[in-house]
Parts: sequence; C-alpha cells; structure tokens
Amino acid sequence: MKKTLVLVLAVLLALSVTTAFAQKASGVFMGTAIRSLENPYHAVWARGAQSFADSVGGIAVIQTCEGSSEKQLNDIKALIAKAGKNAVFSIDPNESPNVIPIAKALEAAGVYFVTYWNKPDTVKVTDYPHWVAHISFSGTLAGEFMGNELFKSMGGKGKIVALQGMLANTTAIERYTGLQAALKKAPGITLAAVDTAEWDRTKAFEKMKSFLVANPDVGGVWAANDNMALGALEAIRAAGLAGKVKVVGCDGVDEMIAAVKAGEAAATVINPAFWQGGMGLSLALAAKDGKINVKTLPVEKRAFFAKAVEVTSANIDSIIATYVKGTPKYDWNDYYGSYVAPIK
Amino acid sequence: MDGLAAAASTAPRAATRPLASRLLSFASKGTRGQIVALAIVMLIFAIGTAGTSVSLKNLQTILSLAGIPMIICLAIHQVVVIGAMDLSTEGVISLAAVTSGFLIKNPFTAYDIGFWVIPVAILIGGSAGLVNGLINTKIRMPSFIATLGMWWVTQGLAVIIGKGNAVKMLDQRFQNIANGDVMGIPVTILIALGVFAILFVVQRRTRFGRYLYAIGGDETLARQAGIKVDRVKVIVFTITGCIYALASILLVARLASSNPRTGKDLMFPAMTAVAVGGVSLSGGVGGALNAVFGALIVTALNNGMVLMKVSPYLQNAVNGIVLIAAVAVTIDRKKIGIIK
Repeated sequence: MKKTLVLVLAVLLALSVTTAFAQKASGVFMGTAIRSLENPYHAVWARGAQSFADSVGGIAVIQTCEGSSEKQLNDIKALIAKAGKNAVFSIDPNESPNVIPIAKALEAAGVYFVTYWNKPDTVKVTDYPHWVAHISFSGTLAGEFMGNELFKSMGGKGKIVALQGMLANTTAIERYTGLQAALKKAPGITLAAVDTAEWDRTKAFEKMKSFLVANPDVGGVWAANDNMALGALEAIRAAGLAGKVKVVGCDGVDEMIAAVKAGEAAATVINPAFWQGGMGLSLALAAKDGKINVKTLPVEKRAFFAKAVEVTSANIDSIIATYVKGTPKYDWNDYYGSYVAPIK
Repeated sequence: MDGLAAAASTAPRAATRPLASRLLSFASKGTRGQIVALAIVMLIFAIGTAGTSVSLKNLQTILSLAGIPMIICLAIHQVVVIGAMDLSTEGVISLAAVTSGFLIKNPFTAYDIGFWVIPVAILIGGSAGLVNGLINTKIRMPSFIATLGMWWVTQGLAVIIGKGNAVKMLDQRFQNIANGDVMGIPVTILIALGVFAILFVVQRRTRFGRYLYAIGGDETLARQAGIKVDRVKVIVFTITGCIYALASILLVARLASSNPRTGKDLMFPAMTAVAVGGVSLSGGVGGALNAVFGALIVTALNNGMVLMKVSPYLQNAVNGIVLIAAVAVTIDRKKIGIIK
C-alpha cells in the first residue's frame, strides 16, 4: 500500500515537472544535438545556440548524447514528437553513420536541419529536401597550417614529434594528412616519432615525457588538438624547455591562446563553436521561414567547409580581444559569409 | 598461488636463514612472477631501444609516470581483495578534480584555500566511497552496480559544477610539487610509496588486514567467524575513495588544470595493472605490493612501446593481451563455479 502510494506520488511529481516545463513553450523549438557539455568546445557551441535562439525568441533545447548515437537519435525523435513541424535542428552527429537515421527521421517529420562535422561521403545532402546544409572545417587545411607555422618557428629545420588524435577518427586523419602535406614542402624537417594521445591532455603529457627521453634534440611538437598540445607543453615545461620546443594545436582553447601569447606555442586554429551553434539554427530557421529556398540552392551551398580562425603570434592580440575577452559578434543573417569551399 | 600455505611451510625454515634472505623472501611473497615479468619487460625494451629505456633519465621518467596510476591501483586493489569491484574511479576523480580546481587559486572563482584543498578533496572522495559501501552493504546491491551508479552520479556532478571549463590552476606550488623530485626521485612516486607503505603494514600486520583476506577468501565463513563484514567493507570503500581524491589532486597539480574529464580513461588501465600485479579478481589473493608491481609493469610496458615506436594501433592490443594473460594466471577457478 505504502509502496503504491510512493509510486503514484513519484509519477505525479514527474508529470507536474514535465507540464510545468511544457507550459513555458511558445515559439519555435530549436534543437541542438551535441556530444556533451563536458568539453569547452561544445559548451561554447551551446552558448552560441542559446544566444541565437534568444535573439529570435525561440526555445533553445540543448541535447547531449554523451557519446551514445542511440541516445542522440532518441532525443531528437522525442523533440520532434513534442514539437512537430514547429522545430529546427542543428546537429553534431555522434558518429558518421548516425547521420542516416537522423536525416530520415527529420525528413519524415518535415523538420529543417543543419549538420556539422560527421557525414559519410556516400550520403548526399541533396537527397533530403529538409537537410539545409552540412558544414565542416577542413582538417587537412588546419593540419597543414599548423605544420607550416611550427616549421617556420623552428627556422625550417630540425626534428619534430607528432601526437595524433583518436585513430580512425575522420578529423584526426585529416589533420594528420595536412601535416604530411606540410612535411613534403619542408625538406629540413624530420618527423622523429608519431603516436596517439587520443585527444587527451594527460595521455599527451605522458607520451611527451617518453618522447623527450628518446628525442632529447626535438625542436617542435605537432599535436592534432590543443588539449594534447597543452599536455605536451606541460611535459616540456617540466623539462625546462618551454619556449625552446614549441607546440602547435587546433581548436583555440583559451589556455592554448595564452600559450601562443607567451611564445610557448606557435599556432592554433579556432573552429568557431559559437558561430556553429548559432548559424546551424539560423540556417535551418531561414529555410523554415522561407528566407532561403533549399530546392534552388546550388549544390556547393548544401555541403561546404566554413572559415576557421587561424591564430599565430602575429595576430594573437586581436584574437584575444575578440574571442577570449569578448564574444565575437556575428550577423546571423549572413548565411554563407563563412563559406570557403565545397565538400566533395 | 596459496599464499598462506606457502608462508606456513617456509616459516620454520625462515628463522635459520640470514636476515637479508628473509627480508627478500618477505618482500617478494606473492610477487615473484611480477618481478620476473617486470624484468622481462625491461630487458626486451632495453634491447629494443639499444639501452635508452634503461638509461637513468628514462628510469626517472617511468617512475614519474607510474606514480599516479600506482596510487589509483592501490586504491582499487583493496576493493578487489575483498572480492568486490569499484567502477566509480573516474567519476570520483573527476568530481574531486573539478571541486579542487575551483577551490585552489583560479581565474573563475575567488576561492584560494591553498593546501586546505587536500582535506576537502579527500572528504569528497571519502564520502563517495562511503556511499558506495553503504549501498553495497545496507541496500545489499552488488558493488558492480552500486559503483557503476556512483560513477555516473559523480561524473554528472563534475560536469554540472565544472560546466565543461578547463580550470587553470594559478597556485604554482602544487605543480612544483607534483612535477618535482627529491634527489632525482619523482615526488609522485614517493607519495605512491607512502600510500603503499601504510596499506602494506595494515594488510600484513593488523587484524583489519587479516579481515580483508578472510572476507575476500570466503565471505560466508568470515561472517560465521564473527567478523563485522559490512563494517569492514564500508571502511574499505571509504579509504578507496579517499585515495582516489589524492590521485585526483596530483592529476590536477601535474597539468595545473582541472576539468570534468580529468578522471577519464583511468579505471581500465588501473584495473589492468591490478590484475597484472597478481591481485586475483576473484578476491582474497594479492596485496599492496602486487598493486605496486602491476602499476610498474604496465607503465614500463607503455613507456617502452613509445620509445620503440610501436605502432599506436598495436599498443592497445598489446595491453589487452597482457591483461588476458595476467588474469588467466591469477584467477582462482575453484572459487568460480560457473564462468559467465
């Protein structure tokens, strides 16, 4: 008896919380499906999404999948079930193949959406009339830029070591391809060792400690992201080599930008998460409101690389003013202003 | 395998042997296999890297890399000894890390409690461990599930508190200690050895230590013998939580940065090291010394593979093979009626 009562009360409580939440709803639901809020990148992404939603009076719904493709799809379906066509989506698919069920579900519901980063090459955006765009940032260009800047800081000659991201991850592969392209054009540079630190700062620190034993004469570290670059940098600092052995990374983490400013890192690349968060929703909403006609858009506007922000010691002060101290101002109606190249 | 029987049979002879030999046999009780394994690993890499891997500099590197995994390993192994499991490692470490990050001088909050953060973090870790133990014993839930739940709870709290920020530590003293050394010996390994010494003495020299093995060996028998099994278990989980917190502070201090991912990917390597060290996952066998050797073997293995430029694709596979081999050797199949 008592147990039943407790159960009934619990269900009632859950229902009342749900309805209280639901009553606040008016305006367009703006779903943002991202990995998690644990990492600064997606945390900034969510802020961008919130900022855009607030600017047009929409309801931002941030869904984190915590690495589960299953959960991501279910969360998206749940919001469609609740909002019907009164929704738009901006999605960072957990894994490439997950794009297919997501796209099918949103297409069937007639909900406009934008995806980022992960998409199998064989899946064509143009096959789905409600898929406004797939946007990515060229990992190859970033990796090459990072390599070039590192080599420049070493005077074009010496030994480097490289820390790859999670193996078999598209972004990791692309950035490493970029490094190899840079290496081809730099005959004075040798790649002494390559390993993976799986995007992780602690692992990078540990690998770098071992690298320093095997290569005491190393001149620079190419890391596929800032987290690993910062981990490697701590090992370099502990060895008393900071400033002499420079690191490069990618993502534009605040601490990495500080390291560029301090002369300990040569370069990083910012993928503008705030812009991604806002622009994904803005594009989808523009399609929903008829401001852009998806059917007549040229193919290259449906799947494209956007502009990343390259950070070096040369532009570091303006970068700090815009991206660290301030929040970058974006014109959310400038839909294709950051377009760089089509994704083939 | 049977440590007690072996000890009993050597005990009468031990009295007549020279002190050095007795000390050696005491120290290596139950870890001979691990010492051989460590020697083999070091030898292979010494040949493979033409001596670099056994240079003084690299031995220091191995010790500095082994410190934190060793502490985590020492924390987990006691739970394994009593025949339970603790999966909450990563969550508890992340939670303690994020909280510490905000309490040590940092750019986000006004707090600057200096070294007082150590007791605070240990309180957090200990509380999580206490709850683990209480759920396990009072609600009578398998430790596997209780601690799995605690993993998510603490990881979730860490994200809520940390909001995904990497929090830079502005109090330089912590990093100086964590990356420092005393006469060439890294501080982290000294702290790990301190933890080891306490646990070692407790396990071998106190009644509480004997209770651990009684419970791990056969819980029903231990209960019948009048041991307050539940209380011992709760205490073990709590101490484990406290040690996690210690590891957490060192992790934060080493990189001068904390975030909710601080604990990520630490549990399985530690569990591997526990098994490789010869602590039986079926409980009751192995102790603190095994945890120390386990951590050293796994660290030396990973360090050696980097030095030898073993393909990163292969490194995980090698770790997996070592884990399976270690468990195959140490598991007590008599105690497991059915292998699931």
